Amino acid sequence: MAEITPQVSTGQESIPFWRDGRVLGVLAQIAFLAAVIIATGWILNNVLQNMDKLGAFRCADGSSSFVCGFNFLRIDAQFDIGETTIISYDPSDAFSRAILVGALNTIRVAVFGIILATILGTLAGIARLSSNWLISNIAKWYVDLMRNTPLLLQLFFLYFGVILLLPPIREAVQPFGLPIYMSQRGIDLPWPVFMSSARLWIGFVVLAIFLTWILWVVLGRREIQLGKSTNRTGWAFLTFLLVAVVGWFVATATSGNNQVVLAANTVSAADLAGLESVMQQRLGVNDLASVSQAVSDGTLTQEAVDTAAFTVCTLRDDRSEVNLTAQLRKLNMPYSVKAFNRENLVSEAFAAGDCDLYIANKETLAAAQTAVSGATLIPIGETPVRFSIPSLQGLNFTGGYKLTPNFAAILVGLVLYTGAFIAEIVRAGIQSVAKGQSEAARALGLSEGQRLRLVVLPQALRVIIPPLTSQYLNLVKNSSLAIAVGFPDLWTTSFITLNQSGQSVQVFIIVMASYLSFSLLISFLLNWYNQRISLVER
Amino acid sequence: MTQAKTEEPKSFGHNEEIIVCRNVRKWYGDFEALKAVSLTVKQGEVVVILGPSGSGKSTFIRCINRLEEHQEGDIVVDGIPLTHDVRNIAEIRREVGMVFQQFNLFPHLTVLENITLAPIHVRKWAREKAEERAMHWLGRVGIPEQANKYPGQLSGGQQQRVAIARTLTMEPNILLFDEPTSALDPEMIKEVLDVMRDLAQTGYTILAVTHEMGFARTVADRIIFMDAGQIVEENTPENFFTNPENERTRLFLNQILHH
Ligand SMILES: Nc1ncnc2c1ncn2[C@@H]1O[C@H](COP(=O)(O)OP(=O)(O)OP(=O)(O)O)[C@@H](O)[C@H]1O
Ligand SMILES: [Mg+2]
Repeated sequence: MAEITPQVSTGQESIPFWRDGRVLGVLAQIAFLAAVIIATGWILNNVLQNMDKLGAFRCADGSSSFVCGFNFLRIDAQFDIGETTIISYDPSDAFSRAILVGALNTIRVAVFGIILATILGTLAGIARLSSNWLISNIAKWYVDLMRNTPLLLQLFFLYFGVILLLPPIREAVQPFGLPIYMSQRGIDLPWPVFMSSARLWIGFVVLAIFLTWILWVVLGRREIQLGKSTNRTGWAFLTFLLVAVVGWFVATATSGNNQVVLAANTVSAADLAGLESVMQQRLGVNDLASVSQAVSDGTLTQEAVDTAAFTVCTLRDDRSEVNLTAQLRKLNMPYSVKAFNRENLVSEAFAAGDCDLYIANKETLAAAQTAVSGATLIPIGETPVRFSIPSLQGLNFTGGYKLTPNFAAILVGLVLYTGAFIAEIVRAGIQSVAKGQSEAARALGLSEGQRLRLVVLPQALRVIIPPLTSQYLNLVKNSSLAIAVGFPDLWTTSFITLNQSGQSVQVFIIVMASYLSFSLLISFLLNWYNQRISLVER
Repeated sequence: MTQAKTEEPKSFGHNEEIIVCRNVRKWYGDFEALKAVSLTVKQGEVVVILGPSGSGKSTFIRCINRLEEHQEGDIVVDGIPLTHDVRNIAEIRREVGMVFQQFNLFPHLTVLENITLAPIHVRKWAREKAEERAMHWLGRVGIPEQANKYPGQLSGGQQQRVAIARTLTMEPNILLFDEPTSALDPEMIKEVLDVMRDLAQTGYTILAVTHEMGFARTVADRIIFMDAGQIVEENTPENFFTNPENERTRLFLNQILHH
């Protein structure tokens, strides 16, 4: 037998550095970092030099710097944007505002898209696990169809094959008789609008939450003392409801001076009753409720009603308009709405006598009143929240919330597509929770709802969150396909800016930085959440 | 370990028939897993179920708290018939606690949260009361110092003892054990068996599937032997091990005692 002498390592010095795992690890990292720096440096230098040669970074004084390359952003954009989110836009605005409007539109698609896709995906994922054959198969077909066809194709189909083939606006489809109108011009939905008296009401709601919380704690203590249940959920709920409802009525009752409407001297009335009598005179009737009857009888012509109708001038999407028109409708006063893009345009129209009524914020109205002699301010009451309901005015719906065909196409398309992927993630997540967990929960007497909420979902979430993050990122990045259905998102407005200004590198830098920051924000939030709920292992 | 009188399960006298099964039958598809099983267990009795793998032991005890649904026959637990009525099922599950082979602790909750989850949400106890009872039972199974750890940080034996404390905190009268020591290393088996022995002496009604012959011999009041979905022998431990009536029992004992 051969003698085997084991090689005994006497210490760390004996390892030559080219075989030391720790040294090798550090060296590999240094080498990689150096390679990355050299490569990016070379590319960047090349680009910047070329751009400089073309004069892209030239400042006004002839010198050149990177910052000056973005001076073009202050130039007037000169192109129109179909729809905006939060901020207004006019072609006389700068390129920077056009890009910002696009970015806000992208955020709108992303926020609604992520919320709706999550809801749809969760439902479809649970449906796939259903023991009901029909439900699980419908979910399966939906997922397979969406995942196996290109998104761009789906968007085109949705836009050209579904939405644009809806009936014209006058024959809008009303699903289930709800005040939802679907037509070629898009989808019009009722939408809650917070009035200025909502501030007081929200105060009451905060108070209600506070009182509920105190009651909850106090009753909890009593429960321990008495050793039995005091039905605190019921009491807490009742308290909350009571305070919130009282707050609602208080806010409504004290809202008299919150909102006013400016009436032109041709109208001159002191309150809503005054407006009513003006309209009665114009139409020559004693009761406005009888007008629609009179029109159908033929005693009054529709033209006469249309001419007599109050012209309400307002800023586009002004929330006070909802309140005013709701009050006019309630009193059966015919009206039409003229909406303008800018405050000063409304004021000009009012001064020129194009409007009977002008609704806006108080300061603007006070200014308009001094400019026009004989105009009166009429106080109108308001409830804290009003539902703005779409109504057909001529060739368009006013009020409510409008999903344009373009927005509807990109939103619905992204939600359906991403929802299918989320459904698979949710299904896998739920299936990853061991069967024993559900059995233990049932054996302990937890109800089916408690089992899902307290045992299965918290565990499934850990599996669901990481792939869900990448689906959210996909949704945001895929939203740049909006350009295909004409929705003015970040990429669309940036692309037009690029074509108009010719500053391609700068525009690309802005667009990429924007998408990158959206993505980083989402990853950051979800990673933070995932970290908070991660399992502690041995 | 000493115990106060109050923590013993309610006693209705030793003769009350607390579990009654009559001709219970269950199929998995075409396969008949339980073939007309009948068994009556009295209050405070400790019954051990033995039998070869696949004989239907788990299926049978899982029918008693509706983790499996039997298709024919009657099961009555503490006077409550086990039907499709969800209220009856909920009541029975409150009477019956179960300990599993794989512990089935909730990995996202601490030991204390694992134990208090059901008392708070099912029994509607105040958190303070639930935690007080939880700590009491953790002390009883000998690991009060582990209360704030997560299951993943405990040894198998500790996890199973937490699972037992979790079951006991719900104050059941009946305990079902399905091979509670089969997933444990030999040195941890003893600590779990000690707890079970203690519970048996306290007066719980216990129905246990186990391969621990020592436990069966010393603790059981009665031994049930199942084979191919049927109860083939019911006997006292003494007779069962020394003088079994049935041929199949004899075969089974030969196999496990001389290998
Ligand atoms: N969900 C199921 N679907 C189909 N067959 C099943 C199912 N569960 C159990 N069975 C079958 O029923 C029979 C009894 O199973 P059971 O788990 O009750 O056996 P057991 O006596 O507990 O065995 P072991 O000692 O291995 O745990 C077995 O033949 C098994 O294959
Ligand atoms: Mg089994």
